[in-house]
Amino acid sequence: MSVVISLNLLTATYFSENALLPGLVKGEYDMDTEARSLLVELEAEAASHPHTLPSAWLLSRFHRLSLDAYTHNFTLNYPLGSSSKFTGRNVYGILRAARSSSMEAVMLTVPYRPPDSVHPTTAPGLALMLSLAKFFRRQKYWAKDIIFLVTEHEQLGAQAWLEAYHGASCGLPGVLDHGDLGGRGGAIQAAINLEIHASKIGYIDIKVAGLNGQLPNLDLVNLVHRMCSKEGVRHTFNNKEKVYKNNWWATWSRGIHTLVSMVLTQATGMPNGNHGLFHRFGIEAVTLEGFEKVGRGSPATFFQVGRVLEGLFRSLNNLLERFHQSFFFYLLPDTDRYISIGLYMPCLVMLAGALIIKAFTLWIKVQNNISIAEMESPSSDENDEEDKTVNLNVMLVGTAVFINHLQGVLLFSGTQHFTRITDAYSTENLLYGSYLIGCLLTIVSPYIIRLHKKTDNQWVLLNIIALLELATVLLAVGMNNFSLAFLTAVIYVPPALWLQSSNNRWYKKLLWIVLHPFFMLSWVVLGFTAVTFPELEPLQLLTKAFVANKQALVLCAVDSYIYASWTFNVATIFFLPTWSLFWQLTQSHSESIEATFDEEETAKKQQ
Amino acid sequence: MMKHFVFFIISIHLAFCVFQEDHFYEELLLKPLPSGHVYSYFQFTTVWNTDYNSHKFDHSHLFPRSLGEVVGRFNIQELHISLTEGLWRHESWGYPVNDAPPGAEVWAWFRKDCEDVDKKWKELTAALSGLLCASLNFIDSSNSISPELSFRLSGADNLLNPLNHTHLRYATLPREIVCTENLTPWKKLLPCDSKKGLATLLNAGHIHNTNYHSLGIHLRQICKPDSNCEEPIIELTQTVSLVYDLVILESSTQDWSVRKLFGIGLGGSCPLAESSLVYLDVSSNQTGSPFLLTPEPHERVVSSKGGYTSEFAVFDIKKMGDKLFNIALTHEKPRIYHLNVPPVIYANRYIVGYGQEQGGIVTKLHNTHWAPITVIFLENIPWFVPIYFHTLKIRSGGKEIKPILKKFVPGKERIRPYYLEVVVELKPRSVTEISIEFDYMFLKWQEYPPDANHGFYVGSAVITALLPVARNFTGLPQEGSLFASSMNASRPSYLIQLRTEALIINLPTPDFSMPYNVICLACTVVALAFGPIHNITTKKLLMMKINNDKGIGGFIKRAKFALSKLKSKFQKNETTEETPNSCSCSETKNKDD
Repeated sequence: MSVVISLNLLTATYFSENALLPGLVKGEYDMDTEARSLLVELEAEAASHPHTLPSAWLLSRFHRLSLDAYTHNFTLNYPLGSSSKFTGRNVYGILRAARSSSMEAVMLTVPYRPPDSVHPTTAPGLALMLSLAKFFRRQKYWAKDIIFLVTEHEQLGAQAWLEAYHGASCGLPGVLDHGDLGGRGGAIQAAINLEIHASKIGYIDIKVAGLNGQLPNLDLVNLVHRMCSKEGVRHTFNNKEKVYKNNWWATWSRGIHTLVSMVLTQATGMPNGNHGLFHRFGIEAVTLEGFEKVGRGSPATFFQVGRVLEGLFRSLNNLLERFHQSFFFYLLPDTDRYISIGLYMPCLVMLAGALIIKAFTLWIKVQNNISIAEMESPSSDENDEEDKTVNLNVMLVGTAVFINHLQGVLLFSGTQHFTRITDAYSTENLLYGSYLIGCLLTIVSPYIIRLHKKTDNQWVLLNIIALLELATVLLAVGMNNFSLAFLTAVIYVPPALWLQSSNNRWYKKLLWIVLHPFFMLSWVVLGFTAVTFPELEPLQLLTKAFVANKQALVLCAVDSYIYASWTFNVATIFFLPTWSLFWQLTQSHSESIEATFDEEETAKKQQ
Repeated sequence: MMKHFVFFIISIHLAFCVFQEDHFYEELLLKPLPSGHVYSYFQFTTVWNTDYNSHKFDHSHLFPRSLGEVVGRFNIQELHISLTEGLWRHESWGYPVNDAPPGAEVWAWFRKDCEDVDKKWKELTAALSGLLCASLNFIDSSNSISPELSFRLSGADNLLNPLNHTHLRYATLPREIVCTENLTPWKKLLPCDSKKGLATLLNAGHIHNTNYHSLGIHLRQICKPDSNCEEPIIELTQTVSLVYDLVILESSTQDWSVRKLFGIGLGGSCPLAESSLVYLDVSSNQTGSPFLLTPEPHERVVSSKGGYTSEFAVFDIKKMGDKLFNIALTHEKPRIYHLNVPPVIYANRYIVGYGQEQGGIVTKLHNTHWAPITVIFLENIPWFVPIYFHTLKIRSGGKEIKPILKKFVPGKERIRPYYLEVVVELKPRSVTEISIEFDYMFLKWQEYPPDANHGFYVGSAVITALLPVARNFTGLPQEGSLFASSMNASRPSYLIQLRTEALIINLPTPDFSMPYNVICLACTVVALAFGPIHNITTKKLLMMKINNDKGIGGFIKRAKFALSKLKSKFQKNETTEETPNSCSCSETKNKDD
């Protein structure tokens, strides 16, 4: 459904915020030779610091431009396993704007990667940033302080810096000790994260996905694309460039590709760049990732990219109010097309609506059952014994629901303790093992816990509760992270509609076991591994996926503790209990024939 | 006859001038700052040998009459106004002669005989707003406070019957943007306007090209020199502080000159001025890289004060004639910047927290001195930022510090701001954090400005301290009027008042068109959906027997039914199911509903 809507109603992006005045002035940046010599110097400096940030060199660079330069130290107390400590250091310089009193600021950040890092280098981006700092220093039009931040340890450094700037801890208290900052520059309005991998740049990819699926204001994204077009730098979204083709099918499939890749990125709830951590603090941010030029054609140089950034900062400098116009909720099928929340939300609502409608019909059915029972008892006086048997025992069903949720909460709150049971095994194995046991428990629990023999109506009531909970959770998640909710809905809604209140056949049970959230993680990781490493043998693939799976689980938990990403929390506290509610239903055996539901009817409603 | 008349006129005029007994002085201080910036401070002083009681300000000579009328009319004892753009960076620039917060700041002492201070204050700010083309008229009792400790009369006062803080009003407008429209009326208050003298340097195009510029007007009573202060006299000081960034001025070297800074050379003094002097701080000539001055100064003054010595080159403009001339400073070698030594006390202020529920204001006070220093910390928080007094925490090095004194007047929405004054002893070589928490609140929808998403301003905090040493101190001693009085003026302590950064707070701002859409949509949906769904879930149609109840039997049945209905109402356990009524079809409620 999402697909159909997106392609028929592709809307071109536009600027809502007039104050940005994108690309109105001619670029003046001309320090590309400076940037190149800085890069040489930086690479020599980096070679002598293979593991850490060359903070002394960076500080001296900032001081030479007479910027206010500071270092920022932070400590991570690793939340899992036997707690170990990691330290890091960020360096930042503040260009004090001549025309303001340090009430507002914009940021340019670069994640520093030492030579031994597994990620591609960002040194060219850092050299470009320093040359821009020198260029910006000489301009008199700045009305907002500009903070140049170089972070260490990827997202950890950025998170620690942001927490220190705002004097707040986002994750579990005591996990990330964010330290303190020496200088500040008022309220930060926007941030640009720069990851340039080479001095000859093929194209710039613009990344938007933030923590918990949060996105930056569409105006900022548009601004970056516009400035890139203006300076003639090839720019992409999710590594897909805009192509102009008359063939509608080519355009369509490309749009779908881009859209699906955005949905998949957003659904993880983890940012795909340091920019994603800023959104929580009300700072609009994007990442510009520049890839090395391969093949023929003229590359974009520091000169052009420098002018792109100059244009960006001059536009941000023009802002009178913080970003508040345009969209905060959107999907992008192309660099200059968008789907607004008004268009994509109905897809999710219709999926969730199918669940609610089924719950509704079930409710009506229960009513009928009761009234039939009443009709059958002829002398239906007020205090009849018969009434109690047909009455729904809410207590019993409530207990079942409560126990299911308790399992989820226990599993979640036990995460840290599971990894501290013993030192004999690694954290990953311990966590994976304990979760496996926990999940097997959820599977066998309906066999163990049989509180009472439930009547027909109670099974139906349980079904209603399960359906309503699934629908509510989907809608609530969809408000924050549409992609996650949509994908979950696509996977879970059809089987949830298919399941009956009782007397489910074995294949339905099997299907539902396969869809266990814990196994879903494995399938996703397996699929991802297969796509990433197509050359692997099946057995190798399985082992690799298994290892990756264990790591993914640990990372999910750690993200929840450090960055307060709620994907893990929602999965254990809401998705898992909802799953086991349905699982309980599949185990029900009822003597009386449960009214079968017209599945076609619900399917129709779904459409 | 004609001759006599002319003589008469001249003699009257002379008599008038002699009677006026007022003097005008102009001074300019140029100081290269350690950070590479250049600080220039203009001070125009008018001293008038009269006091408020004996004079109604109907006639004036050098004293600006427009200001005099305001002072006379509103019973003002002392008046301080500053209009500032930019922030004075104490950490790297040291202390200015007069500190000022970003935006506008006004504080005034009203005389003892002033009865309705609040009313006069409102009228005064309205009058000043017209006088200076600034939006000072937005000052009223809802954003003014009367600090008890931070502000004292800076001039002479009656010792036997001193004024207390109820006659003081203090307010800031951090949002005020200062520009040419304020400079022009300010210049008109000068006796020579900007036609002659040092004021000719104040060209709007050049002085707004700075990192910091601040206009000031300070009126006070001082003691008559060489007297026992039996008759106070009036002193008006008009100041301009400018900080130039040489990098922005497109200077390849660190050399600068008056012409480079102001776009024009000096062209003689104001003829009405008693003295017209330019002081150039050349102390860094010994410590930093040496430089040459052209032309040679008329005098070199060495001033040692509070353990610190500084040297000034003095140029007397009166001696230079009316020719345009330039004062230039050239370095022989490229200038080397030394590591910045921060002043004794400086402060940072910022907002902590995220989201739109709760936040905090934190002020960090740095004491770099080896001994403890007691400071007075003043907060003036607008009413739309409700702060909680119980959350006030003062911490230093992880330990909580007990303040010496706390004064707090909680604000009232739309009526008065929050006023907090804390006296605290800063430990030697320490950083002290004063934090207080606040709630974000919604305003009434018409109270949001057109650019509501820009944020709301919270004015600077004021930190008052007596410094034991005069490092980075450039201020004048309290009894002095001219810059010359600060030479060799060692005192037991030096009064400074710092203003911190102003803050922007983003109050929760509604999307002003959204509520309308939401209300329309939500109401429609609820209206359409609720009725049918409620009906289907709670009611159903049932077939009922039809009884033809007529006559007496029917009446009895109806009466029975009415009784049973009454009974059920009292019992309230379950609704009746028996409906032996004449209607053929009725709605019944479900039991478990």
